[in-house]
Amino acid sequence: MTRPAVSAEGVSKRFGATVALDGVDFDVTFGEIHAVVGENGAGKSTLIRILGGVHRPDRGVVRLDGEECHFASPHDAIAAGIVTIPQDLRLVPALSIAENIALGDLPVRRFGPFAIIDRARMRAEAREVLAQLDFDPDPRASVASLGFAERQLVAIAKALRRRCRVFILDEPTAALEKREIARLFSVLARMKRQGTAVIYISHRLDEVVAIADRCTVLRDGRVAALAHRGAFAVNDLVGAMIGRLAQEAVTAALPASEPLLEAQPDAAATVREVVGLAGLLGSGADRMIRGLFGAGGEPTTVTARGDRRRLASPADAIAVGIGMVPGERALGLIMNQSVRDNILLPNLDALKRIGWLDRDAGDRLVAEVMELVDIRPRRPELKASALSGGNQQKVILAKWLARRVAVLLLDEPTQGIDVAAKVQIHALIRDVVARGGGALIHSSDLGELARLCDRVLAVRQGRIAATLDRPASLDESTLNNAIGG
Amino acid sequence: MPLISLIVLCAATALLTNRFLSPFNLTNILVQSSIMAVIAMGMTFVIVGGGFDLSVGSTAALSGCIASMVMLEAGIAAGVAAGISAGAAVGLANGLVIAFLNVNPFITTLGTMVLVRGVVFLITGGAPVSGESGLPGEFIAFGSERFLGIHYLVWVPAVLLAVLSFVLHATPYGRRVYATGGGREAAYLAGVPVRRVIASTYVWCGALAGVAGVMLAARLQSGQPTAGEFYELTAIAAVVLGGASLQGGEGTLYKSVIGVFIMIVLGNALNLLNVDSYWQRVAVGAVIIAAAAAERLRSHRSQ
Repeated sequence: MTRPAVSAEGVSKRFGATVALDGVDFDVTFGEIHAVVGENGAGKSTLIRILGGVHRPDRGVVRLDGEECHFASPHDAIAAGIVTIPQDLRLVPALSIAENIALGDLPVRRFGPFAIIDRARMRAEAREVLAQLDFDPDPRASVASLGFAERQLVAIAKALRRRCRVFILDEPTAALEKREIARLFSVLARMKRQGTAVIYISHRLDEVVAIADRCTVLRDGRVAALAHRGAFAVNDLVGAMIGRLAQEAVTAALPASEPLLEAQPDAAATVREVVGLAGLLGSGADRMIRGLFGAGGEPTTVTARGDRRRLASPADAIAVGIGMVPGERALGLIMNQSVRDNILLPNLDALKRIGWLDRDAGDRLVAEVMELVDIRPRRPELKASALSGGNQQKVILAKWLARRVAVLLLDEPTQGIDVAAKVQIHALIRDVVARGGGALIHSSDLGELARLCDRVLAVRQGRIAATLDRPASLDESTLNNAIGG
Repeated sequence: MPLISLIVLCAATALLTNRFLSPFNLTNILVQSSIMAVIAMGMTFVIVGGGFDLSVGSTAALSGCIASMVMLEAGIAAGVAAGISAGAAVGLANGLVIAFLNVNPFITTLGTMVLVRGVVFLITGGAPVSGESGLPGEFIAFGSERFLGIHYLVWVPAVLLAVLSFVLHATPYGRRVYATGGGREAAYLAGVPVRRVIASTYVWCGALAGVAGVMLAARLQSGQPTAGEFYELTAIAAVVLGGASLQGGEGTLYKSVIGVFIMIVLGNALNLLNVDSYWQRVAVGAVIIAAAAAERLRSHRSQ
């Protein structure tokens, strides 16, 4: 069983100013688990979206079982037997397990021109396909009643019923516990024995080493390495993922002095310190960040430089000297306005001259700060929506830097950004801190936190569960150990 | 783009009928446009902020009638002040409900439109307000005389355009209105007090509808309870024709005024060409749909 099920040859794709993939060759054979790894922005999502029919490649060819194919939509890909199981599963919680499994292809009984859903057959088919996964729930139960791990099995069952031969799994274990991961792995082993091809995207390199027959490492939109089972370990993958940038400068640990901002015990951003908030999916760390900014729905009480302040809105937080880079870029920018307008928005009062805005002062401030964060292209009148993701993120940072905030809160600051911009953003954060400010970062990329932070707080269920000082390396197991299980 | 459309429209009409370019007709167009322009400027504030106001016609009628009633008792100045304040009050009511109670602007202002019209009929008994011997002479003069060769009524939007453009483009408040319309959540996270900003745009709109109502009363020489019908649709059409996006965050006062001219010239052209007045409604409605559709296509292409 070594013929390629799906292959991509010389595939390239760009989105506006960003080159997502550049001449990528990739293939997976029937009965193989082929993992794809890479940093955020390396091109993994784009590759699987092309294979799954969401995007069309600008150059290059996708082959299914040797034949060239052109998918006009995910529907075409599924019809051809390639299914993507995304992180959010795309099930309908309000419907039953059987209905979800049958969705898109409901079994019917026909009475002339009328068709009625054949519920008995629907349930029987559901039971049959779930049995292949060693899972035996009542098919009439609603999906909403299932936990994430079981919903994932339903999503896989749905694809198996359509006789899909190629499965693309996007970060399947991000929200699973150890026991559930083991179950998923045995399911995958079964599918492998039955000749299914599995493409497995993951950040969890130790899992990849355990389960993958082959592993492709993407970096900056190109294939950096292709390794076979037994011939690679986690360090090799990391090295290939980061390449030349492996030696990022590590912040010298300056003694932490007076706290700039304190909320809950231990959630303090102190002078000259970068504090990380690490939490698994659903840990509530992003809500904590919003809360510290006064955007958490209820007012938060914080102590800023010794004064107790009540933050009921972002305006309150900004007045105290806090800035926030939100988790979604669309929340950090007014997309249909210019870079200049975006940068000046929280700085308008500083530019007021007896009621009107000082245009020249504004232009100077914008130019200065655009230079500092290196926004490309260097055109302040350009609409924010026209910039690449990395540059948009730099604009968001720029507007706070223009205000010289004391504390910078960041939620997933480098998600979905190319590696070059990521390095720049890390440097800018360290700059803020070196000048006497503090930063509090939430990131699901534990490697990023390890490289950037002086202290990492582990968050679980909205509370700080543990503190780790100067983590030299940080991964899921260290985090889990710190949290306690 | 809107200016070119206007020029083309004028040229076409001038070619089709020689009555278009007569001084009498042009004056007519200017005066009619003046009142609508004031309303459209208020509507621009609301639309740029991401909202929508259907109640401006009723508000204008309310202001005209209240101004007339107060004027007959307490003098022109008091009357004008009362009229504009009434408009601002309606705007404030709209603004509070929409911004703080989070009711949909369409529904809210639809309700206000009907409610205020009812109030107008209640306080006037359904009859025009002009007292036994008519409204004060100077007020009526304001509605028909000129200053430096230009009608007083035309000076009003001209001055307002200058002042309000300054407010909308050169003050922090104006930038915050654009930001709120362009991305409410993002503006909130940048420290803009979005609810206050949204409510304030409705106050501007109501107050300006009040000004328009007073102007209309001067022109009609009485407060008319039936005044202002369909003004809101013409105003919205004008703002959209002027290039504002109904999503918010885009549009300028100057271009909205051009949009007003386009609507008024269109109506005037159809009149001069003896087109049935019912057909005119069809035309206005069609222009509204076409303008909104063109705006959607433009915003799609620029993405």
